[in-house]
Amino acid sequence: MNGRVVIALALVALAAALLFAARPPEVTADERIDQITAELRCPVCQGLSVKDSTSETARQMRDLVAQRVREGKSNSEIEAEFRAAYGDWIFLSPPVASWSGLVWFVPIAVLAAGLLLVSGRLRRVEAPGPVEPSAPQVAALRERVAREEAAEG
Amino acid sequence: MMLARTVRIAVVVAILGLVVTLALAFRRDPHDIRTGTIGKPAPAFTLERLDGSGKVALADLSGKVVVMNFFASWCLPCTQENPALVRVYERYRASDVVMLGVNYQESRDSGFAYVRRMGMGWTTVADDDGRVAFSYGVFGPPETFFIGSDGIIAGRHIGPIDEETLVTAIEKLRGQAASR
Repeated sequence: MNGRVVIALALVALAAALLFAARPPEVTADERIDQITAELRCPVCQGLSVKDSTSETARQMRDLVAQRVREGKSNSEIEAEFRAAYGDWIFLSPPVASWSGLVWFVPIAVLAAGLLLVSGRLRRVEAPGPVEPSAPQVAALRERVAREEAAEG
Repeated sequence: MMLARTVRIAVVVAILGLVVTLALAFRRDPHDIRTGTIGKPAPAFTLERLDGSGKVALADLSGKVVVMNFFASWCLPCTQENPALVRVYERYRASDVVMLGVNYQESRDSGFAYVRRMGMGWTTVADDDGRVAFSYGVFGPPETFFIGSDGIIAGRHIGPIDEETLVTAIEKLRGQAASR
């Protein structure tokens, strides 16, 4: 068999294997319900997700999520329904693209500003500015220059 | 020297930011949390009456000012606010204002027994599975929503409500309806 054909077949097989490995994993309806309810905040609890809470409210919310999954709604559609009623508060992790997303960016920005401040300060400490010669040094230099000019004639 | 000055400025800026944030946060009324439903059309629903005499749809109340109160017999603050609701109901019962009680997370029998015991003459409905409460973003009873004659949720009150708050909100919505 021609070498090029073998290489081409090998590349095709590699691409197929990569595509197969990269395909999204199959998610069951129960797993989707768990994913969504783990992100939703239980309105009557202290920092508990709908998935983890045993309250009646959380049970009813899980039932609602399960019904929406059965109806064929996507995760984002179900989350949008709760966001419309409760705002971003209903999510245990604030969405990045919102005012509450500042929670993610502010610490990073403060850290970066601090690093810039410290590195700038260190650079100034390591590289001191030029030092002016003292008056006796200047006088000695002038005398040396005058001597050399006199010697040259 | 320069670093110390920068640090001093950063501390002052941080304290100022904290003060502004706290000032803005304390200005907000904790009973009037502006969640997603305020200023938007009231979610539609059809619920069965607690007395079993049929159903009530929000669409049936179109063009009226609706005061929608989520309550339950197991909720102590609901019992505390009930006299104010009764007085306001008596005041507006012959007007264009409709009061609607939504029984929350409770069996119909105990909900209806509570309604009779507390003298709640207004229409009460059962939200058996909590779907209507979720669509309005209810945290827990008691909560009161004010829906204008245009069907838009104009405001909400979390926790027990008093007569003055009820009358103020109702009169504001009646004034808006009259000016349309």
